Amino acid sequence: MKRKKIILYVLLSVLVIGGAVGIYIYKEYNRAHKDTAGLKPDFTVAANDLLKEFESNEQASNKKYWDMVLSVEGMVKDVTRDDRGFYSVILGDTTSLSSVRCSIDSIHGSEAASVKRGHIVSVKGICSGYNADDMLGSDIILVRSVIGQ
Amino acid sequence: MKNHLLLATVLMLVATSSFGQKFFTKSGKIDFDATSPASPEKIEGVNRTATCVVDTKTGAIQFAVLMKGFAFERALMEEHFNENYVESHKFPKAEFKGSIINNETINYAKDGTYSVTVKGKLTIHGETKEVETPGKLTVQGGKINANASFSILLSDYKVSIPGLVADKVSKTAKLIISCSLEPLKS
Repeated sequence: MKRKKIILYVLLSVLVIGGAVGIYIYKEYNRAHKDTAGLKPDFTVAANDLLKEFESNEQASNKKYWDMVLSVEGMVKDVTRDDRGFYSVILGDTTSLSSVRCSIDSIHGSEAASVKRGHIVSVKGICSGYNADDMLGSDIILVRSVIGQ
Repeated sequence: MKNHLLLATVLMLVATSSFGQKFFTKSGKIDFDATSPASPEKIEGVNRTATCVVDTKTGAIQFAVLMKGFAFERALMEEHFNENYVESHKFPKAEFKGSIINNETINYAKDGTYSVTVKGKLTIHGETKEVETPGKLTVQGGKINANASFSILLSDYKVSIPGLVADKVSKTAKLIISCSLEPLKS
């Protein structure tokens, strides 16, 4: 009788644990990307200051900002929309080739549509790094960005 | 006065000859596909922020792309790509430096689609390998569309796939490049 009870408990425990693991795996597998709009920025910085920081020390800046949530304020140099409707907002000084290029999250595309050249805006996004280029100008790339945060 | 005129003429000639010689984009698209026949779903990522520059005079062609910029539909897949496979915190950038080996067959002044062969060195995950691929350049209205598609062996770039999912992820990755290049005005 006692043995039967133990087996029952063991079976129940296995079922509960197995079920919990199954639910966890299912949820993890189907986990959606976090909406940047709901994320608190790790750093709030002006576009030109951020560019200067990366230009002066790329390695240290990458260590500090890479994969961080940045809220970057700057002047809009350009707004582009590609053939599939994805927007990019380019921030920085028009006299310089270097920019902070923000790929706008597709669920926030409509907000980018109203942004015009010359506007001062804040863009919040995830820093994916720095592309140094003497000829084309260097860029800091923000992905999954949202406007006006 | 004569010297000034001469200088102005030389400067103008230099400016005219260099205009349109280089074409570039900072919003090139690269699709990454490592779906294997046994994959339960598509393993695809896309990067829309690739930098590409083509020198029409020499045929030199370069790409640079930040690995963290590859977007996957599933958050977990994107995390695995960055953390376990390409280790983008250690190797944030992938680069290609090469040339169009049949550059002399392309008339950049005439609209049309030209078949090209591009050869050069591709660096991913800190590993550099020689690659060669056919592609297409379409010259239209003073712009160039560059398209190519080729496969790489992930083990060539020391990208290791954990045993548990080894049959779910392809051993090769297909890269599809699509760039719309504009003349560099400088």
